[in-house]
Amino acid sequence: MSILEKLPDKIRAQMSDEPLFSAKTDLRNNGHFGEQWITFTEREILLWETDGLQYFNLKVEDLKEARAVNGVGGGTLLVDTKKGPVVVARYTAALSSVFGFAAKLLTAIAKDEERPMASEKEFPRYCPTCENPLSEGSQVCPICKNNGKVIARMLKYAKPYKLQMIAAGFLLIFTTLVELIPPYLTKVMIDDVLQPKNMGSTLLMVVIGLGATALVMSVMQTVRGLIGVWVGSKLMGDLRKDIYSSLMRLSLAFFDRRQTSQFIGRVNSDSEAMRQFMTDGVIWVSGESLRVIAIFIIMFGLDWKLTLFALLPMPFMVVVSMKLWPKIGRRWYQQWRSIFRLNVLVGDSLQGVRVVKAFGQEATEMSRYAEANREVVRHNIRIEGLWQGMFPLFSFIAGLGTLLIWYFGGQSVLREELQLGTLMALIAYLTMLFGPLQWVSQMINWASNALSAADRVFEIMDTPSEVPDVRDPVPIGVIEGHVRFDKVTYGYEKHHPVIKDINLQVKAGEMIGLVGHSGAGKSTFINMICRFYDTDEGSISIDGVDLRRISQSDLRKQIGVVLQETFLFDGTIAENIAYSKPDATPEDIMRAAKIANAHDFIVRLPDGYDTRVGERGHRLSGGEKQRVSIARAIIHDPRILILDEATASVDTETERQIQEAITRLVKGRTTFAIAHRLSTLRNADRLVVLERGKIVEVGTHEELLAKEGAYHKLVEAQQELSKIKGVEG
Amino acid sequence: MNDTYDIHMLEPERVMFSRGQGGVFQGVINGKPYEELVVFRAFPFLYTTQYISIRDAKGDELGIIRDIAQLDEESLREIERELQFRYFLPRVTKVGSVKQKSDLWLWELQTNLGPTRMAMRNLHEHMQFPSGNRIILTDINGKRCEIADWQSLDSHSRTQLTDVI
Ligand SMILES: Nc1ncnc2c1ncn2[C@@H]1O[C@H](COP(=O)(O)OP(=O)(O)OP(=O)(O)O)[C@@H](O)[C@H]1O
Ligand SMILES: [Mg+2]
Repeated sequence: MSILEKLPDKIRAQMSDEPLFSAKTDLRNNGHFGEQWITFTEREILLWETDGLQYFNLKVEDLKEARAVNGVGGGTLLVDTKKGPVVVARYTAALSSVFGFAAKLLTAIAKDEERPMASEKEFPRYCPTCENPLSEGSQVCPICKNNGKVIARMLKYAKPYKLQMIAAGFLLIFTTLVELIPPYLTKVMIDDVLQPKNMGSTLLMVVIGLGATALVMSVMQTVRGLIGVWVGSKLMGDLRKDIYSSLMRLSLAFFDRRQTSQFIGRVNSDSEAMRQFMTDGVIWVSGESLRVIAIFIIMFGLDWKLTLFALLPMPFMVVVSMKLWPKIGRRWYQQWRSIFRLNVLVGDSLQGVRVVKAFGQEATEMSRYAEANREVVRHNIRIEGLWQGMFPLFSFIAGLGTLLIWYFGGQSVLREELQLGTLMALIAYLTMLFGPLQWVSQMINWASNALSAADRVFEIMDTPSEVPDVRDPVPIGVIEGHVRFDKVTYGYEKHHPVIKDINLQVKAGEMIGLVGHSGAGKSTFINMICRFYDTDEGSISIDGVDLRRISQSDLRKQIGVVLQETFLFDGTIAENIAYSKPDATPEDIMRAAKIANAHDFIVRLPDGYDTRVGERGHRLSGGEKQRVSIARAIIHDPRILILDEATASVDTETERQIQEAITRLVKGRTTFAIAHRLSTLRNADRLVVLERGKIVEVGTHEELLAKEGAYHKLVEAQQELSKIKGVEG
Repeated sequence: MNDTYDIHMLEPERVMFSRGQGGVFQGVINGKPYEELVVFRAFPFLYTTQYISIRDAKGDELGIIRDIAQLDEESLREIERELQFRYFLPRVTKVGSVKQKSDLWLWELQTNLGPTRMAMRNLHEHMQFPSGNRIILTDINGKRCEIADWQSLDSHSRTQLTDVI
């Protein structure tokens, strides 16, 4: 049965029955880290030390029920016995799904109900090689995956531009070789012209040669530069596009847990860091290493003994780079995090700028900003300082090599063992080595920055959507609109269900009103129909097809939603209304607006349907915004209409008009409407009353009133309120 | 006394906590015994031992304790233990190492509840700085640890932390 891990033999040997369930806890009974084993059979619950010592036992016949009580960061498996509740085991959050299942199984045993089957989801998985946790839905262990792959993956983006990159590479090789000519010409000049004072044609030839190489070099550098810019911009475009589309693909749950304005900066800065590495970085590295090799070959050819001196500082520099490498990477990340926090802060306070102003908190916001800004400055200095310090250090050490060459080379020249020109050429080549050296430190910088950026980008790309589309979705065409909830349970955080065990059958064309206290789970209920989230348990089907088997774009085409938080995009009113149907004619737009009772006020605006509503529609009043979003929901003629407090911000008269229009519209369409003002729902065929995530009552207004239950109370409370206010309820 | 529109503060002398035979937190509140009680911190980050909401097993609030230090000895001991169970937040006493292996950050920690390891996908979403020198670490699985004051850790730990803070 549900044996998760192999029970130690010492424990197994002591049990007479085959265990129904066994699991290792990661906390001891006193709440300290440590391991204990829990096992249970049809007869008893046992807790063991890992060495096989029995710690605790309980007879199943004393058991009434079992509960997994989740605290924060951990939880407790509790059982209710005839003598009161008993703590069985404690665990950290990592195991809450396992113990959630254990509690269900125990309860089923105690009540002798059908034993639940363990699903894949309930058990955390660990990488078989390194025992670190695997993230949900992924098979690759992030630890066993190595950096080489990140680079390879990054370079894949350069693949479409192979030809250009190769061309740039060839140009680079060529420039490098050409660059090596001038010092050699200088040598010829000194040894064959200046020193022998031999004024022949050679001088002119050498000067022409110098001029020609300079010209060729600058032309090639320009061409290469242009290719670099072109490839770089294209690459960056591709990257940004990919990051953005992976963001769009992610489910709502991903964004619920994160501040969204952070992504604005991330898309740009991370792709820039990656681009820099790939174009400048890769081209330069290959070019410069080539140059280094060429220089050394020439130097060895000129005088191999002196060249060895130049090599002396190399090992030292390699060691220093290796040592600094991880440090630089971390500092880049720190720097990035401080900017990240700054961006989050700015995004936050600018989005809420109305609230900031309303409470006169500009000064507080400024000082919060100043603080975060200080951090950024500090980290900036740290990272820039580190690498500003690195380059001079490297040049100094390399310079030591030059000194040695001057000293020993000078001696040789004086002893006339070496020609002056050769020495000069050697020195010139050595100075040329500084170029690549500078790039070593620059490269370390770029590469570590790019790698950490790539990590973050690939993390987004690798995050699986929590509402994945199936491979071959069922084509649904135009649906009729039967909706069926079958034992649906869902919680934004697992094991803290917000809606529980919902069963509901909705006929096509029915209008359902959802009522209940604030926080009862009404919005969550409709989020499930839109499949913004997937059920934890149970299933939802439309026309008998499970939601999970319908492609999301097909599904959304059939659904029109007015969300509780009205959101309008930056654009004109017409664009906003036509959002889900870009090919809508002006007539369609006006018809939808008319139904939503928005036509009149829109036409009265100076710019009519072309009024720009600005970010989030700040230029409209709350009720106007709502009406525009109703128009947006109905324009594409959806088969299922969802209205979450769609008319909460309009006066009752306007609401009545919208209602009448909608009533005409909803004929034959399945409609789910949520409203606190219960009169809004008077046209509903059935009302569903939710309380703490459970359906407590279903029926028509009259039936529920007659029942004198939860709905009756809600109505009464509202009537009382309206009596006080003296308005219609 | 029971004004439903006001916060109900419990008088320390009218509250008593103990642990039942089954190891469950229980007590007597205003003369009424409860065989199971649940504790909630109203300000889990700011005030860990103050403003503790006491609720019955169904989650309805019975009242709030302003400061558990005012309770009698046994009650204090039990509520402290219960808070520790419910808010599983081991306090880090030493940071063994912080390593980045490909795209996972691995922490080796010593805590007041024993040694543990944490794995994080990144730092910017898994490290929180609620105030001052306090750090809350959350790992991939939701396990959390707290560093009460990183400045006052030993020098080895601080060195490990310098490049991640
Ligand atoms: N994105 C979210 N992440 C985590 N918890 C959430 C999220 N959205 C809602 N909740 C929680 O789920 C519960 C139900 O919320 P829901 O929005 O469904 O309530 P509601 O019935 O629509 O309330 P209201 O009438 O106030 O709109 C609430 O306790 C809320 O705190
Ligand atoms: Mg809602």
